[in-house]
Amino acid sequence: MPRKKEPTLSNCIRDLRTTSAMTQQELADQVGVTRQTIVALEGGAYTPSLALALRIARVFGKKTDDVFQLDE
Amino acid sequence: MNAMEKVGWTELIVSIVAVAVATLLVPWLGSQASGSAFSLLALIGLLSYVFMRPRGDRIVIDERDREIAKKATSVGVGTAWFTLSAAVARATVWASYSNTHAVSTVFLNWLIWVQFAICFGVKGLASVVMYRRQRHAS
Repeated sequence: MPRKKEPTLSNCIRDLRTTSAMTQQELADQVGVTRQTIVALEGGAYTPSLALALRIARVFGKKTDDVFQLDE
Repeated sequence: MNAMEKVGWTELIVSIVAVAVATLLVPWLGSQASGSAFSLLALIGLLSYVFMRPRGDRIVIDERDREIAKKATSVGVGTAWFTLSAAVARATVWASYSNTHAVSTVFLNWLIWVQFAICFGVKGLASVVMYRRQRHAS
């Protein structure tokens, strides 16, 4: 039986961060992660936990759906 | 490179160095070589403390680090258990066939130390690979 492909999560964190004139370190400090995790998130290499996704959306004043999109 | 990636590299390098030093010391120290050389593994604990020390309000370890550490630990411990079981089984079979019906304590001492080195070495390698994959994924 063929397995269903894992959906990937894309995001627009980089765009939102540059629009807000915020550095990766500043965003990392505000959401409580390391700068390297922000790098991995912006590169689409890391899928955040729900709590982290909510914290990131809150920093930009957006809904989680506006920041993260599920690519199925 | 963040703190946990440095810890991964330390585990990998120190484990390889400990095995190499233990092997090189055998001609001089004989069976004592394992205990002397593998005490180098204590460096992992010492350097991990240095890398993970608190730095003001800055986050040192986050959810991504914990996730990688969890996966790497299960790979390292799993590999060590597998090799330990295989080595014990082989030693038992060897002792039966050679009619000695005994396993040397020197061999057991080496076996235990090498398992520690394998566990830390594989754990370090797994975390380094996972960090590098995430860095180059995009």
